[in-house]
Amino acid sequence: MTAANIIEVHNLTKVFAKRKNSPVRALNGISFNVEKGQIFGLLGPNGAGKSTAIKILTTLLSPTSGTAIVGGYDVVSHGNEVRKTICAVVQENAIELYLSVRNNFRSFGKFHGSSAVEIDKQIDHVSELFNLREFLNEAGVDLSGGMKRRVQVAKMFLIDKPVVFLDEATTGMDTFNKRTTIEAIREESHKGRTILLTTHLLDEAEALCDAVAIINHGVMLAQGCIEEVKSMGIQLYTVTITCRPDFTEIRRWLEMKNPVSIEQTQGTFAVSVTTEEQALDIINTARLKNVLLQFEVSRASLEDTFVELIDKKTGVST
Amino acid sequence: MKPVLAVMYREYLIRRTSLMWMFFDVIVPLLYLLLFGVAFDRAFGTSFIIDGMPVRYNDFFLAGVLAMTCFGNAVNQTYGFFVDRDNGIFFEHLTYPLTRGQLLFGKILFQGIMTIAQTITTLTAAELILEVHIQIVMIPLIFLAVVIGTAGWFFSLSNVAFLIRRNDTFNLVINASYFILMFMSSLFYPIDQVPVWLRVPSLANPLTWHANILRYLTIGTGSSMEIALQSLLFLGFLFISFKIAVHTIQRSA
Repeated sequence: MTAANIIEVHNLTKVFAKRKNSPVRALNGISFNVEKGQIFGLLGPNGAGKSTAIKILTTLLSPTSGTAIVGGYDVVSHGNEVRKTICAVVQENAIELYLSVRNNFRSFGKFHGSSAVEIDKQIDHVSELFNLREFLNEAGVDLSGGMKRRVQVAKMFLIDKPVVFLDEATTGMDTFNKRTTIEAIREESHKGRTILLTTHLLDEAEALCDAVAIINHGVMLAQGCIEEVKSMGIQLYTVTITCRPDFTEIRRWLEMKNPVSIEQTQGTFAVSVTTEEQALDIINTARLKNVLLQFEVSRASLEDTFVELIDKKTGVST
Repeated sequence: MKPVLAVMYREYLIRRTSLMWMFFDVIVPLLYLLLFGVAFDRAFGTSFIIDGMPVRYNDFFLAGVLAMTCFGNAVNQTYGFFVDRDNGIFFEHLTYPLTRGQLLFGKILFQGIMTIAQTITTLTAAELILEVHIQIVMIPLIFLAVVIGTAGWFFSLSNVAFLIRRNDTFNLVINASYFILMFMSSLFYPIDQVPVWLRVPSLANPLTWHANILRYLTIGTGSSMEIALQSLLFLGFLFISFKIAVHTIQRSA
């Protein structure tokens, strides 16, 4: 493991044997590294293998082959050492149903070696941060799904483990709490904690992550910082242009610019092009022709690239 | 030790949420002894002859109640595992900084303390109300035997909880096991007087070994050699069940 990398995954494969059906290859030799203090997003459609990867990294599952090192320890041979460096939100709304929210926090803190005084101090801070103060005495079984998720995520901020795994952490949360969670994650990253998360919400991943990996059917499709991954898509720029209504030749004129696609909504055209020069050329020419009323240039989002990569490399549409 | 204490603390917090549950946990064996044993004692009187000595049914049944309590505690604790897995917290526990063995050990240590509390209540009532003459010098060994008994059944039944996914199937298996294991054992009657088809499987039942050990310790019936052998067999059952349970936990994720 290099000093900068806190997670190193090399050629990780997981095959699930099925009694009646053929074995399922959930992970097929994926490799990636996560640097210390980074927010790393593991992205992919349902069944891509994200949760399997997290389960291996959190020592819930053993890989069929390949290696995974977390905090300098091998997840197979030094599982307990790995568990001492991590905390994890698993996919289910897993909380202690019969305990109050406060005792959920206390129990979690005890498991992670915190003293009662430390835990109670942190409970004040975390319940304030996640708006849980008025629910501290409610039993887990009486909470809604979104609230259970909030308690589950809040627990990660009670303790100070260097690596945090969040599997679909904001699922089921309302917009306000989602935003609070994202802010809290960002703050923890600034403090030096490493966060590996999975999410279906690509705008969330784009706003939050320093680096991402896109997997599908257990295969790595792309990885790198957000800009690197976005540049792997063909469709890089979208020029949204509105011209004077008397400029009737607009569609034919735009088609001559060799775009990837043109979409028309009444008098407005959304033109996708691959280079910055093409985008500027369209705007400049329209301006020189004196027909330009309004324009906007946007870069392709991570979601655009994600859809394109999934479609192109595996033929599976999300 | 800290991880084991954390598991026990969690079990304590859960148990504390219902004082009624805790109260019932402690007095249930006593109720068995008083409500079930007294009636049979009146019906049978001193008609049991064990090792050439007449034995009252209450004296005989005391060890059966203690063995049954250990089995019942193990079933309750195992059901907790099933519920934890169902709601997902079990998988989160597996990401906490403790080994699978420490998780099992902490749970059984807490249940062991509960079992000792039950045993104290039951022995006290048996001695004071039912006039069972308990071998006082054996009490530390009785405590050890009930803790080991609970552990053996807990580890063994945990495997059932990890392997079965459906709640109704789990309940069916547990109820069937309860019924078969209890009646094919020496809990309620001496097995040397039952038909061969019932005696042979009863002799291979760990519940019989456990009840016989407890009977030896409480009222002194049985030969030392036989009890030593049955103790070894039960320890083997405990060890194998523990090993399999640790392995099954690892595979259950």
